[in-house]
Amino acid sequence: MPQVRIIAKNFMDMVASLPAVKLDKLYDNTFICEAILRSLPPLAKKYVLEMLYIDSPITAKSMEEWVLADGFSKHRVAIDRLIQLRVFTETVDRKKETTYRLNPTFQTNLQKHLIHGGVLPRESMPSNITVRLPSLEDLEAEALEQWECFLLHLISSAHAERLTNFSSSMMKVFQRGLLSQRDKEAPRLTVNGFQFLLMDTNAQLWYIIREYISNSEERGVDPADLISFLLELSFHVTGEAYNMNTLNEVQRNANQGPCRLGLGQTSAGVASTILGRKESWFIPTKLATNLSVSLSDSSSRKQGFVVVETNFRLYAYSTSKLHCEILRLFSRIEYQLPNLIVCAITKESLYNAFENGITAEQIISFLQQNAHPRVAERMPSVPENVTDQIRLWESDLNRIEMTPSHLYDGFPSREVFEGACDFARECNALLWEDSKKMRLVVKGEIHTEMRKHLQNQK
Amino acid sequence: MPVLCSKLLRKLEEFVTRDEKLSKEAAVSGVGSSLLSGSLSMALCYIQRVFRLGPLHPQPRILCLQGSPDGPEQYVAVMNSIFSAQRSMVPIDSCVIGAQHSAFLQQASYITGGVYLKPQQLDGLFQYLSTVFATDLHSRNFLQLPKPVGVDFRASCFCHKNTIDMGYICSVCLSIFCKHHKKCSTCGSIFGQAQSDVASASERKRKSSET
Repeated sequence: MPQVRIIAKNFMDMVASLPAVKLDKLYDNTFICEAILRSLPPLAKKYVLEMLYIDSPITAKSMEEWVLADGFSKHRVAIDRLIQLRVFTETVDRKKETTYRLNPTFQTNLQKHLIHGGVLPRESMPSNITVRLPSLEDLEAEALEQWECFLLHLISSAHAERLTNFSSSMMKVFQRGLLSQRDKEAPRLTVNGFQFLLMDTNAQLWYIIREYISNSEERGVDPADLISFLLELSFHVTGEAYNMNTLNEVQRNANQGPCRLGLGQTSAGVASTILGRKESWFIPTKLATNLSVSLSDSSSRKQGFVVVETNFRLYAYSTSKLHCEILRLFSRIEYQLPNLIVCAITKESLYNAFENGITAEQIISFLQQNAHPRVAERMPSVPENVTDQIRLWESDLNRIEMTPSHLYDGFPSREVFEGACDFARECNALLWEDSKKMRLVVKGEIHTEMRKHLQNQK
Repeated sequence: MPVLCSKLLRKLEEFVTRDEKLSKEAAVSGVGSSLLSGSLSMALCYIQRVFRLGPLHPQPRILCLQGSPDGPEQYVAVMNSIFSAQRSMVPIDSCVIGAQHSAFLQQASYITGGVYLKPQQLDGLFQYLSTVFATDLHSRNFLQLPKPVGVDFRASCFCHKNTIDMGYICSVCLSIFCKHHKKCSTCGSIFGQAQSDVASASERKRKSSET
């Protein structure tokens, strides 16, 4: 089995990195089988469908015959992925022939799902009491608001008007890597943190969920349970209420987290008051049902709001506090109107940003990505003199470049010195030489090779 | 058996019996073929509706599962459907489960870039469907799919609906006829006389102007 080190890039990578036993347990749930099938790359998806009703193992050689020559790398990727996810099991027989077959649990579950369909083990709300459910638009607005509030809290706890329900320890986990905390100083956004703010909502959500899951073990929750719940969540209908009582203990706890992120909404207040019974419901939002959709889908792109003028003035048509906080990171806020934030990009404000590790490219790409529709049509959307100046100010700070290096002197003869120079030049590591005094400076990384070379000379 | 499957099977059975009855009626009037043109147009209409509904582009494709022989009288309608499928970039896959090859479907798959296949063993139809026809458009670029062995490009004439190798074509609207006509039945243009007649006529004209 190829032991590929998996860098958790998206949710499915995370699933793939689960230990084998847990992964097999995951496939007992038909919905998870389907979610996994959906997440596969197209070629892998095709292979699974093809093998769905084949009970005998298929040799790797005959599988390779299916693909054209220029699709071979894709074929490898697909097969590796299937093996990582333990959808395919690989066996090498005595004749050293590799054969693949579908994971039997996965196979039977998917067959069952294909023929019989599936019903979620949730009780949806009876139609006679769904009167006061929030509309889809309300739900989405609520979810986004919740999410924005969460982000704001993440960057600067002082500015959040409404505290999110996460405990401060949870918040610390999320902030890890995004903020750097120096002693007795307000936490500052790191490069990664700014990058995080630049991502679209779906990608941000993934980042947070990843942190949430990888942290789950410390909280005594099995990550497999959490993942299975999140996968199942994506099969619920957006905006419909489901009874909380049909969730088990772990899932109920798991639900608390996503709800606070705006993934779902517990509406104890909405439904139970009508019923007069102690029952609570949860309503998945659009953010949740899109979970198993691939990350590349950028249809959720937000509309831009920033206009930059050639005089370094920046107008942001936004009411969001979050936007205000982001802009404050690299510009000076001059005044705020109900729907407009006016800022100036100054040398001081930019130096401030650079000091925090935010790069000029990040700032420029933020301005470009969030350009107001009116200016977004224009090329370039951000005036060139502004982008150039931002880059220039950044390079002002980087006038000196540091390279760790070693100085050699006291060579016994000119020949040895010349030989050493040539050797360093060959390694592309010669930084400086003074042939009169027979001294040279060489990059630090080849110090050991250099010493060996000189010893051989003797 | 769950409800969904039994319903599906019942509907399929209903469809087959209805189709059988229809083809029996049609056989009296001399035609015994399925309405390929109608089904293709319906599929294309449905696809157009999805296209126009929004920015969604689901990369549609059409699969024809045909058992009966081609009906030459549908030639024009089928060709029009094929060309409109080509224009909207919808590949037509064809799986022929009848006894003989279908010229219409061969052309349809060839023109639209779909797959044409006549399975050798009908027992394994599901495997054929899941192996060849379930492949999405993206993966088709990397996979070995059945190649067309040879495409029957013969057309049907507009006058007697016969499949012909050689015939007459209207120079204005490209309608096909199996024998010479004086006037095109499609666009109404009047065909001139043979080349020799025209030449002699102009010669006569020149002569008269000289005198």
